[in-house]
Amino acid sequence: MTSQERERAYRALSLARALDDRMWRLARAGRAHFAVPCSGHEAIGIGYALAMRPGVDWLAPHYRDLAALIVLGMSPRDVMLCFFSRPSDPNAHGRQPYAHFGSRALHVLSQQGPQPNHCSHGVGCAWGSQLLDDGSVTVIAFGDGGAQKGEVHESMNVAAIHKLPCVFVVHRNGWTQSVAREDQYATQTLVARAAGYGMPGIAVDGMDVEAMHAAASEAIERARAGGGPTLIDAACVRFMPNTSNDDDSRYRDRAEVDALRASGDPLLRARALVDAQFAAAVDAENAALADDAAEWAEAQPLGDPATVADHAYA
Amino acid sequence: MRELTVIEAVREALGDEMARDERVVVLGEDVGKLGGVFRATEGLLERFGARRVVDMPMAETVIAGVAVGLAMRGLRPVAEIQFADFIHAAMDHLVGEAAKVRWRTGGDWSCPMVLRTAYGGGFRGGPYHSQSVEAFYAHAPGLKVVAPSTPADAKGLLIAAIRDPDPVLVLEHKRTYRAIRGHVPEGDYVVPIGRASVAREGRDATVLAYGMMLHESLAAAESLASDGIDVEVVDLRTLAPLDRATILDSLAKTRRLCVVHEDTITMGLGAELCALAAEADVLDVPPVRVAMPDIPGIPVDDVLEDAVLPNRATIRDALIRLVARERTRAHDTPRARAFDSAIPQASSIVEVALPAEHTRVAVDALVEAAGAFPRCNATFAWTGIVEHPDVVVDLDLGPSAPARGLGTITLVDYGADGSDLAIPFVRPGQTAAVRIGAVRDGRAYVACAVDHRAVDGADVGRFLAAFKAAAERDRRLRVTAHAG
Repeated sequence: MTSQERERAYRALSLARALDDRMWRLARAGRAHFAVPCSGHEAIGIGYALAMRPGVDWLAPHYRDLAALIVLGMSPRDVMLCFFSRPSDPNAHGRQPYAHFGSRALHVLSQQGPQPNHCSHGVGCAWGSQLLDDGSVTVIAFGDGGAQKGEVHESMNVAAIHKLPCVFVVHRNGWTQSVAREDQYATQTLVARAAGYGMPGIAVDGMDVEAMHAAASEAIERARAGGGPTLIDAACVRFMPNTSNDDDSRYRDRAEVDALRASGDPLLRARALVDAQFAAAVDAENAALADDAAEWAEAQPLGDPATVADHAYA
Repeated sequence: MRELTVIEAVREALGDEMARDERVVVLGEDVGKLGGVFRATEGLLERFGARRVVDMPMAETVIAGVAVGLAMRGLRPVAEIQFADFIHAAMDHLVGEAAKVRWRTGGDWSCPMVLRTAYGGGFRGGPYHSQSVEAFYAHAPGLKVVAPSTPADAKGLLIAAIRDPDPVLVLEHKRTYRAIRGHVPEGDYVVPIGRASVAREGRDATVLAYGMMLHESLAAAESLASDGIDVEVVDLRTLAPLDRATILDSLAKTRRLCVVHEDTITMGLGAELCALAAEADVLDVPPVRVAMPDIPGIPVDDVLEDAVLPNRATIRDALIRLVARERTRAHDTPRARAFDSAIPQASSIVEVALPAEHTRVAVDALVEAAGAFPRCNATFAWTGIVEHPDVVVDLDLGPSAPARGLGTITLVDYGADGSDLAIPFVRPGQTAAVRIGAVRDGRAYVACAVDHRAVDGADVGRFLAAFKAAAERDRRLRVTAHAG
């Protein structure tokens, strides 16, 4: 990574964390319906978002991809409109809860509820790139919980058969809400699956933004060059409960999570890559941005019932 | 005029649209070298190459999911699921994704994909190659569902589906593929989605049908023409959104509805169509549905499959029942006229001019009236009402000469010492009793009681009027009805 990229990475990570913190607190205070924390996952998305060509490449996002969306250009106010489910939210227009990202302008495919149905959509998107011959690559991100679904198997198989220009990234935090890794899959990691489809696999520390960026860059350029898809197994820790509706004290030891956080927080690790004064200034700037965004978005109007059926059809 | 089969029309539509618009790509199992299991895509691989005609793994979920992704990127995927029975693995992408993408993004994204599949039974395919799946998908707002029955519509609706900005499920009845042949316009031919067509005009009843059942319904309608039953058959063509205007126009004319589909009856499309008709208040009699019974699958056994699927004979039977149904709705039942001159105004009591000695006159008049109204000279039983061929009058002349409990009708007359007016009791085994009050100034009140399980009130009035007329006839006595 260039020093400029490191600064961009830190700026995005710091903003994602600031927004994440505020959304969690606001949801807990009953000011919004639903928060989906991304802390612990940020470096993964920043890694591939920085490696993508803006306005060219496509992202079929994971629902913990807030940091990637920030890199791709989503503003804090737009994030907060999504969080408060306002009709002016450019992601889901008040029709889907928070974290169902999507933006045609930013080349982010619309996210759905059932995980991870967007895998095959991403494969279709990559197939479109191949048919249109526009040189674009699609990054398809999902969790290790979602990776257990047949959807992912079918999608990776088709992408490999046709050497489609896409990259599969599994955010492997070891939990499917409350279900632990050993009850989801029998292996320690998922990278070996790549070989089963005849595609390269890369195992990476997903909390190391530089390592993640290197892995994503390699995979994206291989896809762009016609080398077909790659599976990136990005290990991370989910610092927070699954969502604001989850109570993780029922199934995991908070002290263990705190220890992992203390030793491996991607924010702290990214901070070490930039000047301390720069980091402090960015943190202060982002705190103000997040506060402004939350305050502003909450004040935006709710939906008009007369419009609820709009856009059912063209 | 050029004639094609349905499968040839489908093939022509696919080829024409792929030639016209290079964004159109075809994907599915066996669609390439084999040309599809039904040969719908035959020749497309040779014409358009492997980039645009893609054989997919046997994985229905990803076939649909990839089509969603391609459509979101602005391509025009036409995916094929070999048999509708296998579509359920793709349902999440059709109902959860394709149908919702535009709505859930406030119109930012769209999903102009087509998914074609072969449905329907009648060729010994068993429970997993014969299903009708339309109700599941017609229930999903955001999705359009078409089901052509004719070669021309198969071409025109498929072209419309490919050009449509929203996702369209095209249901092709596999029995029509080769069994149905007809004129198909050459070149660019679009049948608009959302429009039904009147396949046969008629006055007496409307059949709503689609797919192979359209042809079975037409055959049933033809067979009834010689019986003087004139059936209109509407080919729905699009199942979602329904063409309410064409459907209701037809029902407003015939006011009788028969829905025919191969899908199982409960929660099938027929339920919605009957509800549509009921809510629009256009039917004179209850509708009928001809559909598969609620069993989990279509059996492969020849006899059993034929027994569960509707056909022209079962449709014909249903239509005969439908046309024979009595109008049951109160406001359509011809109302009793406000005034019937045959019924005196106080219809269970009349004033009759009678001499003081009148037993013979009264008995004769009663016999004559009972003969004219045999329901008043009958025995009621739950198994039926027996009208007696003879009138046997049981005379009740008071305590000294009471009724004997015999006879078919009772005449009560206590003479000048009796009361002016009294209601007689109907005796067991009889349906009517008449009582003559005391004669005052040459007149008496005559009352009648009946068993209303056998006799309508209006007929009591007519019966009394007949009694009065007979009693006063030829006696040149003044006739007046009691003005009561």
